[in-house]
Amino acid sequence: MAELMLKSALQSDARKRRRNRADRRFKWYGFTALVLAMAFLVFFFIDIIGKGLPAFQQAEMLVQVSYSEAVKDNYNLALDKISRKLVSRSWLRTIPMMLEDHPELVGTTSEEWVVTDYHIDQFLKGHEGHGLIEKDQKLVEKLCEEGKIKLAFNSGFFTHGDSKMPENAGILASAIGSVLVLLLTMLVAVPIGVMTAIYLEEFAPDNRFTQLIEVNINNLAAIPSILYGLLGLAIFINFMGVPRSSALAGGLTLALMTLPIIIIATRAALRAVPETIREAAYGLGASNLQTVWDHVLPLAKPGILTGAIIGLAQAMGETAPLLIVGMMAYIPEAPHSILEATTVLPAQVYTWSGESIRAFEERTAAGIMVLLAVLLSMNALAVRLRNRSETNW
Amino acid sequence: MKTKKNKLTVRNLKLWYGESEALHGIDLDIVSGKVTSLIGPSGCGKSTFLRCFNRMNDRIPNCRVEGEVLLEGHDIYAPDVDVVQLRSHVGMVFQKPNPFPKSIYENIAYAPRIHGMVDDGDDMDELVETALKRASIWDEVKDKLQQPGTALSGGQQQRLCIARTIAVQPDVILMDEPCSALDPIATAKIEELMDELKEDYTIVIVTHNMQQAARASDYTAYFYLGDLIEYGETQKVFTTPRDQRTEDYITGRFG
Repeated sequence: MAELMLKSALQSDARKRRRNRADRRFKWYGFTALVLAMAFLVFFFIDIIGKGLPAFQQAEMLVQVSYSEAVKDNYNLALDKISRKLVSRSWLRTIPMMLEDHPELVGTTSEEWVVTDYHIDQFLKGHEGHGLIEKDQKLVEKLCEEGKIKLAFNSGFFTHGDSKMPENAGILASAIGSVLVLLLTMLVAVPIGVMTAIYLEEFAPDNRFTQLIEVNINNLAAIPSILYGLLGLAIFINFMGVPRSSALAGGLTLALMTLPIIIIATRAALRAVPETIREAAYGLGASNLQTVWDHVLPLAKPGILTGAIIGLAQAMGETAPLLIVGMMAYIPEAPHSILEATTVLPAQVYTWSGESIRAFEERTAAGIMVLLAVLLSMNALAVRLRNRSETNW
Repeated sequence: MKTKKNKLTVRNLKLWYGESEALHGIDLDIVSGKVTSLIGPSGCGKSTFLRCFNRMNDRIPNCRVEGEVLLEGHDIYAPDVDVVQLRSHVGMVFQKPNPFPKSIYENIAYAPRIHGMVDDGDDMDELVETALKRASIWDEVKDKLQQPGTALSGGQQQRLCIARTIAVQPDVILMDEPCSALDPIATAKIEELMDELKEDYTIVIVTHNMQQAARASDYTAYFYLGDLIEYGETQKVFTTPRDQRTEDYITGRFG
């Protein structure tokens, strides 16, 4: 009898089976959500990489260049009639300038690999809408067979600024702009943010005023970033007279945006330091500053760094506030100072994505790839710092 | 017999957390060179009282203290008292061992360095060695002074914390349930250590362990709901308590 009862107690009844089913169902919901998210991500990466990879190659053509005196006034004369049509006009236009810099070349001829017109480039890559006329297609195919036209590594993409001709457009100007802006953001936001957090967490009395500040900082982290652009426009450009479109204006604006993120991350890192460590230090007669500097900050440092890097990575990818301070601009030359007109990588991507010429599409995707690579490495650095600190603790 | 000398004198000490009064006017003398234990049920104010001696309560917002606490006749709540200086005279060992996540050497050397007692070098090495020996942990750690203090066992960590406190050469050592996180063997070592240390230091200890209070202390104070109910020599308090509440508590009938 007793055995029978145990047996039935171990078997699942209808209620138990229902509970098990609910368990399994719930597990599958979660799994499906994960698969969906992964699918989107994979689709995004395949799409971007598929579109962007061709941009790292560019069609080049072997041409006979004759640097005669007449070329200084009419660059068309540097090439024969057929080549003239096929090479990039952006390259042709630079010849007179180059001759001025190198007068010794005048009167010589040379054989050079030269970037072709973007129609040929697109035609060779088999992109639809390459726009190369039937007659030229034959010619290009023939030159390809002769080895006079080929696809080569597109170094211009990394050494040129923006251009209206796709074959000449590169990310150098915007990349330098991004570096300048990010440096300024870091120099302004990190010290101010960290000091604010330290004050609020370790020194400030807990009263109405500090509570109000805390609520507002949390709110600031959540407001649409474009409002920071308006704030930057009002404060830095209109009131303080910082030049429009400059890295300084952009950097300061992004610093405003990054501040709350850094403050919140730093406070969280400080709060994660056990109270017993503070007690130990105070109990030994350490002052407030000594306690914070010698014991709390070293333990919070990895968390602070992680927060700062993630905040900066977000600033790096930001476009909306920069739109307002005029950084969505056509910048063919890399800036030489923080006061010159500058653009940044995401803004460059945005500008290219709006171009009507199809050849810009692959450059847009390639720009996104570069941006993603930078952001992912920043995040990887943040993760690395976090992991390293965990082993130390 | 030597005449009793009072290290700490408490007169009509009242303490508020915001609006609620946690200590209702305590009068107590802590005898120099002895171990005094503070016992009582949770929430009776004994830890709060202990933290009045090194003004750790200052860190709690809305905490207010009234009355007098005299350290060798000097009011430690006087406006010209430097809390940092006070805490170098009145050291504290906490409930949970809390060594700094630094090397064993650094744990000891930190406080003497910030107080400018000795310079780094041979003098500091000597001071570290003396403190560790005094806390009977030297033999266990002498070969690994550069290893993190957090890697030691719980009992060793607590003795390291005691050594860290001794390194500052305080007059008084406060201990807030120093053995509550330790096993009986580690506890016995700490109690032994307290017995040795009371030659040089006045020790005040908060404990929930009746046997510990009876074993290790010379004087016992029983707190209940923010009042000091009974205070006297440990032996008397435990064998012939004057107050019924004390008797109920120490015999385990309540608390």
